[in-house]
Amino acid sequence: MSGHSNWSEWVYIGVVVAILVWVGAEAWNVERIIDHVPENAEVIKVTGQQWFWTFEHADGTIEKGELHVKKGIPYKFEVTSKDVIHSFNIPDYLVLMDAVPGRINTVWFVPVDAGQFPIQCREFCGLIHYNMRGTLYVEDGLDR
Amino acid sequence: MSHIEHLDQIYRTSPRRVAKMMAIMLGICLVGGTIFFGMWDYWISGVSPASIARAGKVEITSPVVATGKEIPVSLNFIESSDFRTFAFNALPGEPDHNPTITAAVGDKIIFNVKNAGKSFHAFGVTQEDEGTGGIIPGSNIQSASNPIKPGQGGQSEFIPGKEGIYYYICTVPGHRAQGMQGQIIVGDVSAKTENTETEPITGSPMPAPELKKAPETIVKEKPEQTMKEEPKTNTPFTGTISISPGASTPGCDKTNECFIPSDVTIKVGETVTWSNNDSAAHTVTSGTPTDGSNGTFDSSLFMAGKTFSHTFDNTGEYTYFCMVHPWMTGKIQVN
Amino acid sequence: MVLELQKPRPVWQIMFSTHHTDIGLLYIISSLTFLFMGGALALAIRVELFSPGTQFIADSMTFNRIFTVHGTNMIFLFILPFASGVGNYFVPIMVRYKDMAYPKLNAIAFWMIPPAAALIWLGFADFGWYGQPPYSMISSPSPAAEMWIFGLKILGVSSVLGAINFIVTILKCKHPDLPLSKVPLLAWSFLSSSLIVLVAIPTFAAALLMLLTDRLGVTGFFNPALGGDPIAYSHLFWFTFHPEVYVLVIPAIGMMYEIIPRFSRKPIFSHSSGMFAFILLSIVSFASWAHHMFATGMSFTEKTVFMVGTLAAVPASAMHVFNFLATMWGGRAKYSTPMMWAIGGIALFFSAGAGGVVNTAMPLDFITHDSYWVVGHFHLFVFGTIAFGSFGFLYYMFPYITGRMYNEKWGKVHFIITLIGAVLVFFTQHILGLYGMPRRVFDYPPFPAWIEMNQIAGVGAMLLGVGMTIFLVNMIYSSAKGKEANMEDPFGLGGKYYYPYQRKNPHHD
Repeated sequence: MSGHSNWSEWVYIGVVVAILVWVGAEAWNVERIIDHVPENAEVIKVTGQQWFWTFEHADGTIEKGELHVKKGIPYKFEVTSKDVIHSFNIPDYLVLMDAVPGRINTVWFVPVDAGQFPIQCREFCGLIHYNMRGTLYVEDGLDR
Repeated sequence: MSHIEHLDQIYRTSPRRVAKMMAIMLGICLVGGTIFFGMWDYWISGVSPASIARAGKVEITSPVVATGKEIPVSLNFIESSDFRTFAFNALPGEPDHNPTITAAVGDKIIFNVKNAGKSFHAFGVTQEDEGTGGIIPGSNIQSASNPIKPGQGGQSEFIPGKEGIYYYICTVPGHRAQGMQGQIIVGDVSAKTENTETEPITGSPMPAPELKKAPETIVKEKPEQTMKEEPKTNTPFTGTISISPGASTPGCDKTNECFIPSDVTIKVGETVTWSNNDSAAHTVTSGTPTDGSNGTFDSSLFMAGKTFSHTFDNTGEYTYFCMVHPWMTGKIQVN
Repeated sequence: MVLELQKPRPVWQIMFSTHHTDIGLLYIISSLTFLFMGGALALAIRVELFSPGTQFIADSMTFNRIFTVHGTNMIFLFILPFASGVGNYFVPIMVRYKDMAYPKLNAIAFWMIPPAAALIWLGFADFGWYGQPPYSMISSPSPAAEMWIFGLKILGVSSVLGAINFIVTILKCKHPDLPLSKVPLLAWSFLSSSLIVLVAIPTFAAALLMLLTDRLGVTGFFNPALGGDPIAYSHLFWFTFHPEVYVLVIPAIGMMYEIIPRFSRKPIFSHSSGMFAFILLSIVSFASWAHHMFATGMSFTEKTVFMVGTLAAVPASAMHVFNFLATMWGGRAKYSTPMMWAIGGIALFFSAGAGGVVNTAMPLDFITHDSYWVVGHFHLFVFGTIAFGSFGFLYYMFPYITGRMYNEKWGKVHFIITLIGAVLVFFTQHILGLYGMPRRVFDYPPFPAWIEMNQIAGVGAMLLGVGMTIFLVNMIYSSAKGKEANMEDPFGLGGKYYYPYQRKNPHHD
């Protein structure tokens, strides 16, 4: 059944496999680094529900629909949902993690630029999924 | 012109047969389309049993002897111009905002509801004091999945089977939290002071589709909201503090709604009465959960429906909590 | 020589027939009808998303229903039945048997499709073609959701019955003089896709049943309030549907294996490579399902395992691409319409696969997941590869089935317009996804980059609509009044390269 002996095909397959191995190894390495949450990350609890986001800071402050963070500080998001699956997404910072009811998923980031960035939902959750938005405010090390 | 004489006959189809095939297919599509569009509302009219079961307990009250009294209520769904605040009839601060309805057991409340806003809404009555669950059958008008569009309306009725506080709400997720709820007080129960500190949805939501110029909406901006929710009472203190339903589950403390009102100011010599409107037993104990009782007053356990009173003879600030459910805290300022 | 042509019969005789060519044509014609219906929905989506704000779809509920039915319809009512139709028509001929192994079962499997299609189209559910709980369980309205569930259950049974038929026909009913290694690659593609269906579909049938009982409140498999886990559904769903996407693509590759050697006037470079690649793909396709779930909170190890499983399937697909290119190399290609479609399909298949490698690189998935990149990626597969291969094969088989020739000029025009349209829509959507636009959205904020790209995609979609209209007219007109084809060599490829699977008298073979 598998009696191909043509050298050109073997070379081609060799090249393809080499590229895939390289992609896999690089991806493995980068993900290994990203998966490790920094020790001193400040915890923010993110709760998604139809159709808005609620944020609870480590000191108990609650924000709805907007999130204020400080530049240069690592933050760890503990993401969950109250009803259906949502997905917490800050596209400008590549923050993406599903909000699943019944479990808490973790994702972290360090905001390196001050400014305003959109927050959106990245998992279909019903009628206002398209407008389940918020704003991330990154402040220059001011006290909140 | 076939060059293959030795072959069997080649049968090619004719325009007539092709036309027949197209006619059959088109006919099927038309029949299907007629059924689908003819029953447009039906296909998404229902709600799954799982969604009813998940959201709170629906009380199946035994059939009530109707008193014969009918209470017609007109309600309009309205929104603030920035879509951060929703309400019935009027925005917070305006007259007739989320009107409270009083009734007796067995009265028939007839709701006549209209969507005077630009977003979509739906209606229902529940005993749950938060969320959109536990909608009492018969009281609902459409649903979040099949909502009332702007300009449309509907009717429903509600006959309360027992005393207590019920809520009429918009059943679209999030709308109740944005202010679309009002109370129905059935029987001799103290009204809960309405918590007008509805959580503003900050951020920049897009206006609902079909954006037209607002014809008549009340445009008064809501006053600045602080991050930490502190309920401001806007009706004067009547002397009774309600222990809210569901206070026995943690969560009411996040919005300071375990004791309503949770912050009260009175004059020396006045009496405060706590009414247990929850189904569980509670205490009202002066002091703090961390330090414990300081001895000024302590109701010890009192059951659902019961009350406890204390007269304040000295000025000062009195914090209190429930010994069984220590997340429940409140404060009384005596001047 | 002709393949199979029956003398004109009354309609009801065709409907009740159990002959494989009749059933094959029933599948093909009904699947093409669904292609156009689903395509109309796609145009509605693209027009609505042309600019921010409401264009003509009144509310997001209607929009959500449109994209749900578009996806469900295209996969289950176009691609799968079309492949079944082609298989039904040609597999018995290729293995030199008189019909499928179980002709009556074959008819039953086809006739399950109209009621299932009625359920899906009338209910018009709103939760996306995944049917993901908890939304589909607690937030989606009745009876649309239940109708979708029942419709898909029926289609699943139909698929499995068809798969059994193909496997038995190919393995047990092939002519005694025909060794398995000489069975044409198109038949091999049906063998391998049927093996996948047999293993994968029952899992989804279970998941559907669990979803239904969860919806009714009887069970709590996916309901956290009752101790269940919505991610369990994701595992069951993707365990079926990752292999299922190979079920979709493998027959189209098989169809290209018919077109490319024929129109290159050269035998296939390596028949055994093709066989090996099909079988390898059917096995390895089961190792990668959770790459759709990287964002659900999987551990690093879990994600790595599935990344490796996904990458492992790529060489098999690469072998097919090599086979095609090596076949064309050194041949005397004639670029008739079928050949153009096949070559376009190979190019888009390669692009789709390249995009897939990006997705499976774990950290990169967190950029592309559930964005328009994914929409562009899978459409390059389902449209760029499968539809292109299917159209090419339809044009190729047209003269043999109908005895007439389609209009070659308009066939080429269809190809050019569709290729340009497909590139405009689906490559643009990759970039749109990188800019962060999520999937399944009724509307979007007025970011200039998003608006521009949605408009480019909208124009592309219009081109696709024009192309498909040309196609429809060409097919209908030519089957009724097209020029009679030279049945020995309709494409003028030259003496030695006519269709080899001739049958003198199909009923007496």
